[in-house]
Amino acid sequence: MRVWITLGGFVFLALTVGICAGHTWEGPDAVFRALAGDTSMESALLLEWRVPRVLAAALVGALLGLGGAIFQGVFRNPLAEPYLLGSAGGAALGATVALLVPLSLSQTFSLPILAFAGAWGATLLVIGVARAAGTMDVSTLLLSGVAVSAVLAAFKSFLMLALSDETVSLQVVLSWVLGGMQTPTWAGVGGLAAVSLAALLGCLALAPGLDKLGLGEAMASTFGMNVDRFIGVAVLVGAATVAISVTVGGLIGFVGLAAPHIARWRLGPLHRSVIPASALIGAAIVTLADAIARSALPPAEIPLGLVTAVAGGPFFLFLLARSRQW
Amino acid sequence: MVSLVAHNLSLIRAGKLLLDDISLSARGAGSIAIIGPNGAGKSTLLKTFAGLLYPSAGAVALGDQALQHVPADERARTIGYMPQHFAPHWDIRVRDLLRISVERVGTAAAAVRVDEVLTTHAIGDFANRWWSTLSGGESARILLAMVTAIDPPILLADEPAAALDPLYRLDMIERIAKRGRTGICIAVMHDIDLAFRFFDRIVMMKNGQVVADGSAAELFETSHLEETFGVRFLRSKIDNVRFAGIGWPTGSPSAKQVAVVGARSTVGIVKAAPL
Repeated sequence: MRVWITLGGFVFLALTVGICAGHTWEGPDAVFRALAGDTSMESALLLEWRVPRVLAAALVGALLGLGGAIFQGVFRNPLAEPYLLGSAGGAALGATVALLVPLSLSQTFSLPILAFAGAWGATLLVIGVARAAGTMDVSTLLLSGVAVSAVLAAFKSFLMLALSDETVSLQVVLSWVLGGMQTPTWAGVGGLAAVSLAALLGCLALAPGLDKLGLGEAMASTFGMNVDRFIGVAVLVGAATVAISVTVGGLIGFVGLAAPHIARWRLGPLHRSVIPASALIGAAIVTLADAIARSALPPAEIPLGLVTAVAGGPFFLFLLARSRQW
Repeated sequence: MVSLVAHNLSLIRAGKLLLDDISLSARGAGSIAIIGPNGAGKSTLLKTFAGLLYPSAGAVALGDQALQHVPADERARTIGYMPQHFAPHWDIRVRDLLRISVERVGTAAAAVRVDEVLTTHAIGDFANRWWSTLSGGESARILLAMVTAIDPPILLADEPAAALDPLYRLDMIERIAKRGRTGICIAVMHDIDLAFRFFDRIVMMKNGQVVADGSAAELFETSHLEETFGVRFLRSKIDNVRFAGIGWPTGSPSAKQVAVVGARSTVGIVKAAPL
C-alpha cells in the first residue's frame, strides 16, 4: 500500500512541477489560484495552455508505461520495449504516411488507424522472424527488432524526402517523429483520458495470462493457456496502446523500457501490480521530461523524444551492464 | 475414475520418428516409472501426455475424450506437469508462484488456498523467499508443490530428481510415487534403483517404442533391463525391497573383468539416515 501512495505522490508532484514549468515559471500558488477558478489572464493562460498539455503528457506517459509492461510481459524479456521491437517504428511509418500521403480519409482518422496498423504489423513481423528462427531469446528478438526498425525508418525517411513539398511541411513530420506533444483542447484531453482508461483495462485483463506466461510457455500451457492465441491478443493490445501514444506524442523512446523495470523492482513481477504501477511511473517520467522540454531553452521547445533519449540511453546501458532480472 | 490412455501413438519431429506406435494405459490410481536409455522418447511421451506435443498419428485420451478436445481449463485441473527444467522468466517469491498456480482454477480465496498449500507441503518457511535464492533441492520441492497445488488427479513428472543430492532425491521420489496411491502418477526416471523400489509399474522404452510394461516386481526378475540398457544389473533384495544397480556391460565379460567388478563395492541410496 505504501508503494502505491508513494507512486501517487510522485505523479502528483510531477504534475505540479509540470504545470509550474514553462517559458515562465509559475509558483504553485498561481497554479492553485487558476484551478480554484480565478479569472485573471494569467490563470486563463495556465488553464487553457499548460494544464491540458501537462495532462496529455501524463496520459501519453501512462500509455507508454502500459505498452512497455505488456511487451516485456509477452516477450518475457526485461529489454523488450515498443521502441526496440519495431512497434514504435511501425507506428511512425504509418503516421508519416498519414501526414504526407494525400488520402481520401481525414487525418483525424487516418493518423491513428495507420499508426496502429504500422505498430501491429511491425511487431508481428518481429515475432514472426524470431519464431522462424525457432527462438524468442533476447538476442534474436533485439536483432530482429533492430533490423525491422531500420527498414521501417528507411521507408519513413524516403517518404519524408520524396513527399514533402511547400504544402506539406517537413517540419511538422520531423517535430512529430522526434517526439513532441501538441497542446490539446480540453475535449482532446477528455478523449485521450477515455482511451487511456480503456487501454489500462485492456492491459489489466491480460495480467493473469502474462503471469502464467512468465513461468515459461510449457508451464503456461499446462496451466490451461492457449499460448499462441494469448500472445497474439496481447501483442494486439500492446500495439494499440503504443499506437495511441505515438499518435498523440510522437516517438518517445525508453519510457516503455524504464517504467516496467522500476515497477518490477519495487513491486515484484506480478502483472496485476506491474501494469498499473508502470502506467503511473511512465506518467511521472513523461510529465517531468515534457516540463524540461518546455522550459530548458525558452522560447524554443526541445523535442520530448530527445529529452527521454538523453536520460533513457544511459539507463538502458546501465541495464545491459547488469544482469539481475526484474 | 480418471484415465490417461495412449492409442497407437506416433510422433515425428524434423523427419525423425520419436514415438513409434505406443499404446499405454493408466487408469484409476498407481505410480508408473518410465525408464530407458537416452533418446528413447521418454520425455517426448510425457510431453504428449501433457498436451504440449501433438501426436502425428494415434491419440491420447483423457477419460473418454481425445486430449486435444478437452477444454484447456479442464486439462489444467486434471493434469499436473512437472518439467525437467523450470526457471521462471522473472525472479519471483514462492508465495506469488503458488498464487499463479492456484489461480488456474479460479481466483476466489486464492490467498487462503496458497496458505493451505504452504502448510500441506510444509514449505511455509519458504513463502517469502525469492526463487533465485533457492537451492536445487528446495526449488524441486517448491516446483512439486506448485504443480500439485490444486491436487490434480494426474501428475506427470519429467526426471524430477535428476539433479538432486541423495537425501533430496529420495525425498522427492517418495513424494511423487506416493501420489500414485490416490491418483495416477507417471514419472520419467533416471535412477533405475529408485524406479524399481518406489513405483508400482515400470514402462521400459527404447528407440521410441515400449519394449516392456509390467509390475515392478515382475520386471525386476526378467532380463528386460539388460536388453533395454545394454548393461548388466546387480539385483538384490534387502528386507523385501528391490535394488537394481548398474553392473557391467553386457556381452560375455572376461573372467578378469568380472573379477574386477565383483571386487568393487557398490553404493546405492537406501534410506534417509536418522539425523
